[in-house]
Amino acid sequence: MATVEYRGMNLVIPENDSEWREHFKLARSHRLMLRGCKGCGLLRYPPSHGCPWCASLDWEWKEVSGRGTIHSYEIVVHAIQPGFKEWTPYPVALVELDEQRGTPTEHEALRIIANLVTPDFKPEAEQNVAIGKRVRVVFQDIGDDFALPQFTLSDEPAQGRVWQFPG
Amino acid sequence: MKSLKDKYSIVGVGETEYSRHSGRSTRAMAVEAIRNAMADARLGRDGVDGMMSYQSGDSTPSNWVSADLGLRLNFFMDVVGGGSSTEALVGLAMGAIETGMCHTVALYRSMNGYSDFRIGGTGARAAQPVRGLDLAQVPFGMRSAGQSFALTFMRHMYDYGTTSEQVAHVRVAHSKHASQNPKALLKERVTVQDVLASRWIVKPLHLLDCCLETDNATALIVTSAERARDLKQKPVYVLGVAGRVNKPRTDFHWAHGPISRVAGYHAKDIVFGQAGISPEDVDVTGSYDAFTFTTMLQLEEYGFCKKGEGGQYVSGGIIELGGRRPNNTSGSHLCEGYTHGMSMVIENVRQLRGRVDDYCPGWAEGKHSYDYSPGKCRQVKNARVAMNLGWSMPPTGSALILRN
Repeated sequence: MATVEYRGMNLVIPENDSEWREHFKLARSHRLMLRGCKGCGLLRYPPSHGCPWCASLDWEWKEVSGRGTIHSYEIVVHAIQPGFKEWTPYPVALVELDEQRGTPTEHEALRIIANLVTPDFKPEAEQNVAIGKRVRVVFQDIGDDFALPQFTLSDEPAQGRVWQFPG
Repeated sequence: MKSLKDKYSIVGVGETEYSRHSGRSTRAMAVEAIRNAMADARLGRDGVDGMMSYQSGDSTPSNWVSADLGLRLNFFMDVVGGGSSTEALVGLAMGAIETGMCHTVALYRSMNGYSDFRIGGTGARAAQPVRGLDLAQVPFGMRSAGQSFALTFMRHMYDYGTTSEQVAHVRVAHSKHASQNPKALLKERVTVQDVLASRWIVKPLHLLDCCLETDNATALIVTSAERARDLKQKPVYVLGVAGRVNKPRTDFHWAHGPISRVAGYHAKDIVFGQAGISPEDVDVTGSYDAFTFTTMLQLEEYGFCKKGEGGQYVSGGIIELGGRRPNNTSGSHLCEGYTHGMSMVIENVRQLRGRVDDYCPGWAEGKHSYDYSPGKCRQVKNARVAMNLGWSMPPTGSALILRN
């Protein structure tokens, strides 16, 4: 049973975790790879067993650009997990990837939860976080076969409206 | 549309006190709550032959509790579930009775939600190993309910211009209601300024935007309308029920937006369709208040106002006692106690009976002053139809419409 310790958490990915094990291993090679359905061709996240659109069980790993836009975010000020106390205030972002936006229907997209971090993996400052800002993936190595895909602000111009929580 | 409208009743309600230190097991509390509900229904030991409960790995099973009550059950089932479970279990109880599996079902939720397993994620929950789909969020410091829902709340503010000031009115309203409730843990009335000045938990949530964590047990008794008519307690009848209705992609609901839309979007047609009524016909609501935002989101999604106008709806006075459609008149999860949903249904049953337990001396006989100043009355005048909007998480919800 493989356990990775990170910020006081035990992340458990046993041998028979046929969903996550490879995902995090590929992240460790610093590639963002998603499952691509062989039935309908759609990419999906999280790495699920069956295709949520056509239910096919056949898939293959496909690399994505790692570029996206902040679709929503929150700023954790009061940490619940003891290992995150030193990180507060930290942003958690919902990133919408560039690939497959508005597909197969207008409200669907590939969206990932991650922290918004600086290039040296510290939490990005609250005043820099906004919906609409452009981001790119970076990989936080935390084990031999395990890295967390995180995101950092990219130098591309923002997409559409940029909005920041006023409080 | 298939409907069991008017064929089933809630005939008994009961609860323990709400506290931060029950000092006893969930088993003991469950037994007390069900005893109170059975007494409320004037039912003896031969009067209950079914039992259901819901829990998050933090409760006690029906077969232990029924033994303490001296019951022999024809049916029992304990499910994993949270805030959308009460309404769903009422529906399942109706189904079990409809098939003839049993004739009367006690439903309960028993939790040491402060002194033991906290839904807010601290204590026992924080130490749990992270596996499966939790790996998509927990490693990023998203563990608690508030942290999990905040993305939805923030996007609603972006999509519709909803403000912190607007949703703070939910806390203000529920605190006013709690000041009329002897059972409430927090009876002090707060202002919008108090909410906005309270410390940040996870932006956009202040401390006072968040509900309590408490120790308590609650229970309901469900039976057929025919049986209800033979009982001494005033029955309330089920007009419609929807249970654990989902948005697409409940595994990772953010993949299928709009993420500012919640499960009520899919549930409303089911429940209003069965009942044959519209939101305009509802006199009292119980919109799950895990957070100020959840109350607002659900009232909007079920059609009590136009999409995007939830902020205006909750801040204009409608949801307060004395307003057009009071909401969570006990003070509920924000101010009374955290029951994972069941207390909201219990309060609406009491409202429909005309017998909420407020400070009016004749409350038990249905004598109310309708004076909503502090420490006085909590009864809604002429309440005929009540609706409960149960929330598990943004993509999963339940609803129940009752009448007297």
